[in-house]
Amino acid sequence: MNGEAIHSRAEQLIGQEFVEGISESDRRWLEEHLRECEKCAAAAASTDRALRALKGVSVQVPAGLAEKTKFRVHLRAQERTFAEPRRGILWIACAASWTFGAITAPFVWRALHWVGDQMALPRLVPELGFGLWWALPAIVAGAIILAENAKFERQRDGLRQQHWDAE
Amino acid sequence: MIAAMSGPALMFSAVTQDDSLKALAAGLRRRDPKLIDRLIEQHQYRLFRYLVYLTASRERAEDFFQETWIRVMERGHQYDGESRFETWLFSIARHLVIDWQRQRKMQSLDSLLEPESGTRAEFADAASPSPLNLILTSEEATAVQSSLERLPIIHREVLLLRFQEDLPLSEIGRVLGVPLATVKSRLYRGLEGLRALITGQAI
Repeated sequence: MNGEAIHSRAEQLIGQEFVEGISESDRRWLEEHLRECEKCAAAAASTDRALRALKGVSVQVPAGLAEKTKFRVHLRAQERTFAEPRRGILWIACAASWTFGAITAPFVWRALHWVGDQMALPRLVPELGFGLWWALPAIVAGAIILAENAKFERQRDGLRQQHWDAE
Repeated sequence: MIAAMSGPALMFSAVTQDDSLKALAAGLRRRDPKLIDRLIEQHQYRLFRYLVYLTASRERAEDFFQETWIRVMERGHQYDGESRFETWLFSIARHLVIDWQRQRKMQSLDSLLEPESGTRAEFADAASPSPLNLILTSEEATAVQSSLERLPIIHREVLLLRFQEDLPLSEIGRVLGVPLATVKSRLYRGLEGLRALITGQAI
């Protein structure tokens, strides 16, 4: 190996040692070479210094960053819970209820009229009762959504308050 | 220390680590708020440092820090527990920065930063001459940071991931989404560049 090739191998091994490690025999060869070659020893020392300096660098994390982040993450988690909650189940329940209602509508209509006739009620009363019976799933679904909305708003306000108190 | 561990002890350690990663993945799938809080506390320093170096801006690093954790919560189900958590975390942070760069310049990070093309990513605002100076604490660090700033970002980030974050080469490949050979070649070039720059400044 000529002189240039030896230095080039040493340089390659210096880098390799830091990046992925070298074999024992390569290490022995390199150590021997570094004892004899000032230029390569200086290169190894400067690489070592550079990496030590890189490892020694510290960064100041802004005060309250973690708390601010937790707050935002919680808030987003709540928004997501609200946006994709058990709404699916609610709509399935409504669809099932309306399907069942459509199938049983003639019987309910007749039953309400029979009750109205028996109690001598005006015709409007069983008709209103029938309308209410149809609207019931929508009323229940609306009430659940409103209650969930209110709960979400309360939770969000509570979380904001906690965040401000903490700040 | 690892060399001092016997075979079964090493295997046990690997198994428990494996289990804890699986438990972590399950917690993230559930969006467990306490787990996410704990992760934010644990990884705040490393993630913030990575973002500061990547963006060279404290404000931007803060924004990306928060966005990264929101993304962690939203996409927790995508973490498979196969790789280290920080690998996945850094990769999310990196993608957010790339997306922001793309929106800004309509170019990808890598294409911006090809060292061969001789171009260099300008993450910092042109108006702020050395934003890292405001963040870094030691004097020696200032010399390192100015050298780092002059390195192409693809070299800078592999150096950070390898020598600051102590990530194995394979995990760096996962963060960057590049093959192992590319990671190595970037590391060698980065190391060479850093050494040359720091020697020039004579720390």
